[in-house]
Amino acid sequence: MFLFDWILGRILPVIFLHLRPFIKWFLHTFTRLSELQRIVYGAQAGASRTRKVERSLMLSQNIEIQQLLQELDTAVESCSDNELILLPVRAISVVQHAKHIKSKIHPDFTPLFGTCVLQIWSYRHLLHQVERLRAEPYDANNLVHEQKLLELWNRLMPEEPLEGRITKQWQEIGFQGDDPKTDFRGMGLLGLENLLYFSREYRDAAHHVLLHSKHPVYGYTFAIVGINLTAMAYRLLKSGDAKVHFYNAAQALNQPCTLMHFHKFYCYLLFEFDRFWMESEPTNIMDFRDIYQRFEILIMEALHNDKTLFKTNLIVEEV
Amino acid sequence: MGLLSLLRKLRPSPEKEARILLLGLDNAGKTTILKQLASEDIATVTPTAGFNIKSVAADGFKLNVWDIGGQWKIRPYWKNYFANTDVLIYVIDCTDRERLKETSRELFELLMDNRLKQVPLLVFANKQDLPNALTASEVAEAAQLVRLEERTWQIMGCSAVDGTGIKEGMDWVCKNMKK
Repeated sequence: MFLFDWILGRILPVIFLHLRPFIKWFLHTFTRLSELQRIVYGAQAGASRTRKVERSLMLSQNIEIQQLLQELDTAVESCSDNELILLPVRAISVVQHAKHIKSKIHPDFTPLFGTCVLQIWSYRHLLHQVERLRAEPYDANNLVHEQKLLELWNRLMPEEPLEGRITKQWQEIGFQGDDPKTDFRGMGLLGLENLLYFSREYRDAAHHVLLHSKHPVYGYTFAIVGINLTAMAYRLLKSGDAKVHFYNAAQALNQPCTLMHFHKFYCYLLFEFDRFWMESEPTNIMDFRDIYQRFEILIMEALHNDKTLFKTNLIVEEV
Repeated sequence: MGLLSLLRKLRPSPEKEARILLLGLDNAGKTTILKQLASEDIATVTPTAGFNIKSVAADGFKLNVWDIGGQWKIRPYWKNYFANTDVLIYVIDCTDRERLKETSRELFELLMDNRLKQVPLLVFANKQDLPNALTASEVAEAAQLVRLEERTWQIMGCSAVDGTGIKEGMDWVCKNMKK
């Protein structure tokens, strides 16, 4: 059993990596199409196709393509959304040249491949954006930060005015003490922006979840749990596990991956976590670790399926 | 003697296990200390809802470190984790002057529990890297740690973010482990 696993896990990939050029050469001669063309024409649009394209590009030994990848990776570190949309044009021209693909003979290749490129590098672009927000600590002396915090209160508790900046009232929406400034910790502004997006764009869902968090038995700390789900969303994005959902979402909407998609992904996680928590009938908040870990495994399992696209139109079922 | 039991004898004896309890107010730095002990990334720490646990190897011991959330809503559950504790580590944020009284009150209250009677106590005076931090001796005085009298205890300045003082603290923990 061990030997079998070992062969499967260790030896086969090595053999495959060395055989790859031969297989590619064989298929190229046979089909008269490059690997990228075979993927683009053969695989289903969305995560399935885009991830195969990504893998093919990453494994490419062609110098031109390797330089292109570096160029694109550097560009997405700081480029604007407008510059981002132009990246596929550059990628297409390099690949056409490197792989001798004539657009007159293969007119379909260009737009399909371009879509994949946009999905791959808008995801990487998003990763940098998210990382910048996360790395910006919450600063109580920053007026913009403070205004966002107050807006969060007003959106979640529209009928109850805040009596002061430092008040026990913050605990009603699940912060730890009388000043939320230290609760964002390692998630920085990202944690606040996520919560704010949820309360702003999914008003009903947010109020529904907030109400659950005040349940006498199954209650939990809304904001703190929310910040812990920011950590989950961030982890899944960074590890690449979330690619399946983001590529499929980008494909369905015919858009690049944007910060808005990250917020929506987060809102899905928070909304579904709340449901999962209530269904688990926890004894008290000390069950959080266990339920949180089980929930993350469920999400990871879903993301192993190339077709997964989380539904981000969160519907509150009236009882 | 069967082959299995022979093999079992050849294996090095399992290291001694110890249960370490990490307590303190919210934002004291308990989870950062835990991650520092486990050599994990400390940049993405979040407030602890419930608890965290990690096993760390130190000085031939396998330390099972329990990090329990510090916000007041969770404090009533602290006592559920008292049993069989070998060493208690209490973490204080030395920049949080307003809550020094509160943290001292919580500490003395939990020390009254019978299950913690013989348990050695290490107080980490955390956040020494920050300019406005009180020193370990200032904190000891403000928190009236002299009242601890017969208990084996120690206070140590540390910085969870850069790791200063953590190793020294854990050396003390291993040396004074409840027999």
